[in-house]
Amino acid sequence: MIIDINFIGLIIASIMASAVPLILASCGELITERSGVLNLGVEGMMIIGAISGFALMTVTGSLIIAVFGAMLAGVLISTIFAFLTQTLITNHVATGLALTIFGIGISAMIGKNFVGIPGKEFPVLFEGLKDTIPLLGPILFGHSIVFYFAFALPFITSYFLKKTKIGLIVRAVGDSPESASNQGINVKLVRYACILYGGAMSGLAGAYLSMIYTPQWIENMTGGRGWIALALVVFSTWNPIKILIGAMIFGGLTIIQFHMQAIGVRIPVQFLTALPYIVTIIVLVVISRDSRKIRLSTPSSLGKSFHKDN
Amino acid sequence: MNTNLKISNVTKIYPGCVANDNVSLEFNSGKIYALLGENGAGKSTLVKILSGVIIPDEGEIYLNKNNLKLNSPLDAKKNDIGMVFQHFNLFETLSVFENLIIDSDEQRESLREKIDSIMKKYNFSIDLDIPVLNLSAGQKQKVEIIRCLIRNPKVLIMDEPTSVLTEQETSELFLSLKKFSEEGILIIYITHKLKEVMQLCDEVAVMRRGKLISVSEIKNENIESLANKMVGQNLKTIKKKKAKTSSDQLIKITNLNFSSEDPFETNLIDINFSVNRGECLGIAGISGNGQSELFQVLSGEIISEKNSIEFNNNYIGDLSPQERREYLMAFSPEDRLEQAAIPQMKIFENVALNNFKSSNFFNNGLINENKIKEHSKKIISDFNVNTDNIELKSQFLSGGNLQKLIIGRELITSPDLLICFNPTWGLDVGAINYIHETLIKINEQNKSIILISTDTDELLKLSDKISVIHKGKLSKIMNAEEVTSEKLGILMGGAN
Repeated sequence: MIIDINFIGLIIASIMASAVPLILASCGELITERSGVLNLGVEGMMIIGAISGFALMTVTGSLIIAVFGAMLAGVLISTIFAFLTQTLITNHVATGLALTIFGIGISAMIGKNFVGIPGKEFPVLFEGLKDTIPLLGPILFGHSIVFYFAFALPFITSYFLKKTKIGLIVRAVGDSPESASNQGINVKLVRYACILYGGAMSGLAGAYLSMIYTPQWIENMTGGRGWIALALVVFSTWNPIKILIGAMIFGGLTIIQFHMQAIGVRIPVQFLTALPYIVTIIVLVVISRDSRKIRLSTPSSLGKSFHKDN
Repeated sequence: MNTNLKISNVTKIYPGCVANDNVSLEFNSGKIYALLGENGAGKSTLVKILSGVIIPDEGEIYLNKNNLKLNSPLDAKKNDIGMVFQHFNLFETLSVFENLIIDSDEQRESLREKIDSIMKKYNFSIDLDIPVLNLSAGQKQKVEIIRCLIRNPKVLIMDEPTSVLTEQETSELFLSLKKFSEEGILIIYITHKLKEVMQLCDEVAVMRRGKLISVSEIKNENIESLANKMVGQNLKTIKKKKAKTSSDQLIKITNLNFSSEDPFETNLIDINFSVNRGECLGIAGISGNGQSELFQVLSGEIISEKNSIEFNNNYIGDLSPQERREYLMAFSPEDRLEQAAIPQMKIFENVALNNFKSSNFFNNGLINENKIKEHSKKIISDFNVNTDNIELKSQFLSGGNLQKLIIGRELITSPDLLICFNPTWGLDVGAINYIHETLIKINEQNKSIILISTDTDELLKLSDKISVIHKGKLSKIMNAEEVTSEKLGILMGGAN
């Protein structure tokens, strides 16, 4: 049997495309968690982003307004979370879960009028270069701007945390909000900013799903990707580069198991569907075994409320 | 240039407690000032006001005649007031350099040069690129001091700086502080340790229950006069009577070994000793030489070989702490809030944790609250715990009261052996005295004590026999009368 080398390239490209929303949401949540805030509302923020993006695109016809509107919607819903957890000092876990339930509910309500409407075509970059290089051509070229942004994001995030002053402040707040406050850092402000940024990235991830990946609105279309994004952050031990690896494995297995089902491999479908979840977690646990590094990259104050007293 | 810091009529009131009651003080550079007081006397509140962490209800602060408005730690920093807190304000997972650059406006390279020159000047040697969690307590404190020095402070406030330091580190710190003072930095040194005040400071201000009691020069004071001012009553000096020589062996440790997989723990190597009834065995050593592992092995938190511990003619090396308690052993661990008591639980609930079969705290799996409360009230009155509310969460007890409660909880069942680890760590003179009296009383009742402590004075005062632990090995056991603190110091350093 001869396999077209460009076909392999196409499969890899489709794997990468399915990893995009995971990378975006995980990198956003990573910044939130690094500041010590555990926001379990990723799934909710994603689906709000998905419906907002799709609705704005249909109503205004402008892709740019739709994409930025989706991010803004993510910011707005995460503002609710920030207000509750930072200003009213509610429990992070409970508030995050409520946010997800809220997001799924409200998106279904808004989305009623948008079911069955076809999406718009999203412009891709470097379309013409696709056939110039075998194998690499389909991988590198002919994708949306969001796709390229997603694959740059883990590196940008890593650089931001390690090399910039603001990144250092984010890590410091996550390590010890008490010390940071005593050093004159405004802990609440930093955490608000990190939560809102996480919201924006989740919103973008949702918009990618409803506008680019499968351009249409389906109720509950995020299908648990928000939870996978959360798991990726934890199992990558808060390391953006490992998030990239984890998202690729997850995306890869999801695509491959589809193909295996299609070919008719004699393995129970339920097992195949569960496979990406299991393997991704095993691989991330194995590559993140160094307990010293875990200790150094885990935000010590994760999920704990900080209240400054006078 | 001379620095003059003036605190004028500062008052801070918390619900149910006046932390600072109309305090006025004046400091001038060139001298080292001690701010002395028991825990809860209001010294920490006062220095937190000076460093902008707490805002006073009334009163003014003047630095060189300028009225300062300190609404945040940033304001204090901007006004050249540096503060090293008792609990370090460091970010454990960040590197030393990251900890220092975070609140600095300087460029990386110029800051690094500045830090290097500070370290050179004061003989500090710290690797700037390792995470802070890998540093010793003394090194962490140096990082805090460097953080202040980078800003060329006029005032440097040290809040109980020696509570986590070894003796060696303490004397290094004192040398540095004297040097800073010579260079014109005004030093305010907060402590409840009288010896340190006599050793280091030029002037001393004593606080008690939020009020300023006296300001005087050190040369006009001595340890007794300061102690009396601090506690507000004449302290009895307690002396231990020599124990009756008893040959009735209570506990015998034979060839006890413990090796840990955790690189931060110390292995115990071939521990052998025995304690007779009515005796107190002191175990000295610099912290981190295996004391906490030894305590855990003795208390049963770490299980060892059955035959390695013989207590009252039973082999108990493989028993859990609860089972050992049934054999009439009692334990008082080092960390009161982490190991001995659960801070969020009420006093009587903490008492119930120490559950004996004979105590009947539980009936058919239900809590017998009345019984436990009755028992708790007895502990509180017998052991002088200064509260009458057994429903109080134990985190709100002061260190001294909590320790009294813990020791009381352990002793009320009249055990044969009490094993305690740094029982007076961080306590004030009054509480230390009370704990010491209690321990002496136990020995007089023909009960035994194993006292693991880093405080040599305490060991010399209370022990009948003393041994030194160094790198997990015990020295030979000496009679306390033959031992001096110098000799202990040498053994603690690892010499034979």
